[in-house]
Amino acid sequence: MARSTVMLAAALAIALVLPLVLSAFYVVLLIEIAVAALFATAFNLLMGFGGMVSFGHAAYFALGAYAAALLAQKAEWPMLAAFAAAPLVAAFGALVFGFFIVRLTHTYFAMLSLAFAQILYTIIFKWTSLTGGDNGLLNVWPPAFLRSVTAYYYFTLLVIGVCFLALHAIVNSPFGYTLKAIRENPRRARFIGVNVRRHQLCAFVLSGFFSGVAGAVFAFHNGSVFPDFAFFTKSFEPLVVVLLGGMQSFYGPLAGAFGFKVMEWLISRWAPIYWPLFLGAILIVVIVVLPQGFVGLFERRAWRLRPVTGKK
Amino acid sequence: MTTSLFPWITNGPLIVVQVMSGLSVGMFLFLLSVGMSLIFGVTRIVNLAHGSFYMVGAYLMAALIELLPGNPLSFWIALLLAPIGVAILGVVIEITLLRRVYRRDPMMQLILTFALILIIGTLVLLVWGPDNKSVERPEALAGSVRILGQPFPSYYLLVLGLSPLVAVGLWLMFYRTRWGMLVRAATVDREMLGALGVDVSRLYTQVFAFGSWLAGLGGALAAPTVAVALGMDADVLINALVVVVIGGLGSFAGTLISALVVGELQSFGILIFPGVSIVLPFALMAAVLMIRPWGLLGEPEE
Amino acid sequence: MAAATGDREEIVLETQDLRKHFGGVRAVNGVDLTIPYGDLRAIIGPNGAGKTTLFNLITGDLRHESGRVSFRGEEISRLSPDKVCRRGIGRTFQIASVFRRLTVIENVQTALLSHHRRHYNLFADAARLYRDRALTLLDRVGLREQAGKPGGILSHGDQRRLELAIALASEPRLLMLDEPTAGMAPNERHTLMALVARIAADTGLTVLFTEHDMDVVFAVARRITVMHQGCVLAEGTPQEIRRDPEVHRIYLGYTKAR
Repeated sequence: MARSTVMLAAALAIALVLPLVLSAFYVVLLIEIAVAALFATAFNLLMGFGGMVSFGHAAYFALGAYAAALLAQKAEWPMLAAFAAAPLVAAFGALVFGFFIVRLTHTYFAMLSLAFAQILYTIIFKWTSLTGGDNGLLNVWPPAFLRSVTAYYYFTLLVIGVCFLALHAIVNSPFGYTLKAIRENPRRARFIGVNVRRHQLCAFVLSGFFSGVAGAVFAFHNGSVFPDFAFFTKSFEPLVVVLLGGMQSFYGPLAGAFGFKVMEWLISRWAPIYWPLFLGAILIVVIVVLPQGFVGLFERRAWRLRPVTGKK
Repeated sequence: MTTSLFPWITNGPLIVVQVMSGLSVGMFLFLLSVGMSLIFGVTRIVNLAHGSFYMVGAYLMAALIELLPGNPLSFWIALLLAPIGVAILGVVIEITLLRRVYRRDPMMQLILTFALILIIGTLVLLVWGPDNKSVERPEALAGSVRILGQPFPSYYLLVLGLSPLVAVGLWLMFYRTRWGMLVRAATVDREMLGALGVDVSRLYTQVFAFGSWLAGLGGALAAPTVAVALGMDADVLINALVVVVIGGLGSFAGTLISALVVGELQSFGILIFPGVSIVLPFALMAAVLMIRPWGLLGEPEE
Repeated sequence: MAAATGDREEIVLETQDLRKHFGGVRAVNGVDLTIPYGDLRAIIGPNGAGKTTLFNLITGDLRHESGRVSFRGEEISRLSPDKVCRRGIGRTFQIASVFRRLTVIENVQTALLSHHRRHYNLFADAARLYRDRALTLLDRVGLREQAGKPGGILSHGDQRRLELAIALASEPRLLMLDEPTAGMAPNERHTLMALVARIAADTGLTVLFTEHDMDVVFAVARRITVMHQGCVLAEGTPQEIRRDPEVHRIYLGYTKAR
C-alpha cells in the first residue's frame, strides 16, 4: 500500500510540473488523456468491479458534454455552475436508462445499453433547434481565467484528481465490496440480504455521473460539442482502454488511457481514415490473444482459482 | 375530437396504403433480423456486425449495377449476386475469427463482433469512398400504382410480393428439410448433435453464411429505397436489435411478429407523432422488456 | 452466545400445502411442514423427491403455485430472497457458493456489512469494518488462518465452511443447508455437521438440512422428514423413521450416501 502511495505522489508531482516543460500541443494531449482515463475508470466501475459490460456508455459522456454546453451557452449559466450541473444530468440519464438496462444481464444488457445510446444520438442529431443537430454547439469556452491551455490543464487535473479519489473511495467502501460480491455471485449476494438490482442501478448511476464529468471537462476543453459524442464508436473507447490497461486494478484504465490516446494521436497523424480499423483490430487481437477471456483478466497470477463444480 | 387529431382515421384507403407500406418496412427489418436471430439460435453469438452485412449488401448492389449499366436485367442480376457476396464475406469472418471464440465468454464474442463493425465500416469507406451511392429502381417498378385511389410505390409491391415467399421459404426450410431439422436441433442441443456424428462446425459456418446472405438480401432489396451511405450499418443495427430484443433472440415467429409490428409503428408513427416517431420502437422495446425481459417469445439466458 | 430465550413451543417455519410444478412434473405436491424452535430437521429422499425445490420455494428463489410459507408467525410466501434473508433465514446452496475472488475475510465482512445495512455506504474503508466480528465467525468455522486467501482457492470442504460463516453472519434464526456435505469425505461430513449442531445449540438456531448420507442424518438430526415424489412420505424421530416400513420400501438401496 505504501509503495503505491509513493508512486502516486511522484506521478502527481510530475503531472504538476509537466506544462512548464512541454509545449501546448502535448499539454492538450495530457488533458485528453485525463478525460479518457476518467471516462474509462467510471466505465470500469461497472465492468471490472460490477461485472456489467455496457456498450452504450457514450450516452452519459455526451449528456455531460451537452448539458454543460447548453447550460453555459443557451441558459447563460456561469461556466462553473453549468459544469457542476452537467454530471447530474448525466446521472439522471443513467437512472432512466439504467432502470431498464439493469433488469437484464450479459448479452441483453449490452444490447439494450447500445440501443439506448443510439436513441440518444438520434435525438441529439434530430433535435436541431435545441442541440444544433449535426453542426453541434460551438463557442463553448471556459471563462477567461481558464482559457489558456495551462490553466485548463490544472483545472482538469484538479477535477479528475478529485473524481479519482471519490471513485477509489467508492471501490473500497461497503458499497464497492457489495458490488464486487454481486459480480462474483448474485445469488449468494441476494442471500446476504442485498437487493441486487437496486445496487446495480446505483452503480450504473454513479458510473454515469462520473462519465458525465468527463464529458463536461471535454466540452469546455474542446470548445464545442457534437452528436458523435454519443455515437457507438465513442462507446468503444472506454472498453478498449480498460481492456488494454487491465480491469483488475483501479489504475489500469489510467495506464490504458495513456496508451490509447498516444496510439490515437500517432495513427491520426499518419492516416486518420484508418483509426476505426485500427481500433477494431486492437480489440480483436486483445480478445483472440487472451485465452481466458474475461475471467482470466481478473485472475491474479498468484492465485489459480478452483473451478466451480458443475460449470463448463 | 379524434378526427381532428387523426384526420386520416376515416380515410380508409390511406390507412390501407399505410398498412401496406408498414408491412414493406417490416419485411426489410425481418430479413435483416431473422438472420441475426438465426445465428444466435444456433451459435449463441449475437452478431453485431449484422448491420454492416446489410450495408455491404446495399453497396454491392450499387456497385454491381454500376458495372452493368443499361442492361435491363442488371437490377435482377445484382439482386442475385449481392447477397452471395455478403455470404462469402460472412464465411470468411466465421472461419478466421468466430471459430476461435465459440467456447469463450459471451461478452468477448460480443466485443469481437462489435469490433467487426469498425473494420467492415472502414473497409467499405476505403473501397467505395465517402460519398453516398444511389440505386435506381428497375424500369418495371419505377412508378407507382393506385391502391384504392391512393398512390403506392410499385417497388414496394416487389417487397410485399417477395417477402411472404421468403418467410414461407424459410419456414419450409426449417421445418421440412433435413438441414432445417439439423439447425433446429442445434438450437436446442449442440453437443448432442455432435455426438450423433453431425459436423457441427460446418453447420455453424453454413448457418452463419445463410444469416449473412439474408442480411445482404435485405440490404440489396432496400438499396433503391434509402440512401446507401456510411452510417447505414449503425442505423440498421439498432433497428435489428430492437426487433430481435422485442421478439426474443432465437425465435423465428417472434422476429417475424416483432418486425411487422415495428414496421407498422414506424409507418404510422410518422403520421401521428412526426417529430418523435423515431423513439417509438424503443418505447415499445422498453415496455416489452418491463413485462417480459426476454422478449415476447424469447427464452431466458442460461 | 447464550441460547436465545423464546417460547420452546414456537414454530419457526411452517409450510401449508405448498405446490410447484414444472411443465407436467409435480416437483412439490402439497407439502406441509412444521419446524419447531431448536429443531435439527433433516429432509431426506431420493433424487427428484423435491427437496431442493422445496428449499427454493421457502427462500423465495421460486414462485409457488399454491400454499403458504410462514416464518415465526408471519407469512413470507411472496417475498424475494433478499427480504427472506432479512427476516432471519440463512441459507447455503448445493454447489458451494462463495464470493470467489474476494478474500475469505472479505466474504464474511460483506455479509456483515449487508446485515447491518451499511452496504450503501460510499465512503468508509470497508476493509476495517467488522473485522473482529468476521474473524470470530471464521474462528468458529475453523478458517481463521485462511482469512487472506481468495475464497475460490479454498478446498471444497473449506468453501462449505466459508459458506456457513457467511450464512451465520446474517444472524439467522433458521439456517437452511442444502446438501451441506455433498462432495466431502465421510469423516469431514461428520465434523461439519457436528460443528453445525454445536453452533445451533450455542446460539439457539433452528436448522433444516437436506442430506443423502444416512449415517450423518441419524447422528445429527432430531427429527426427519422423508420426501418422495414431491410429497411428505413420513415424519418422525430417527428411531421411528428407521422402523418405518414405507421408508424401507422406498429406500431399498439408499442406505449409504452417494
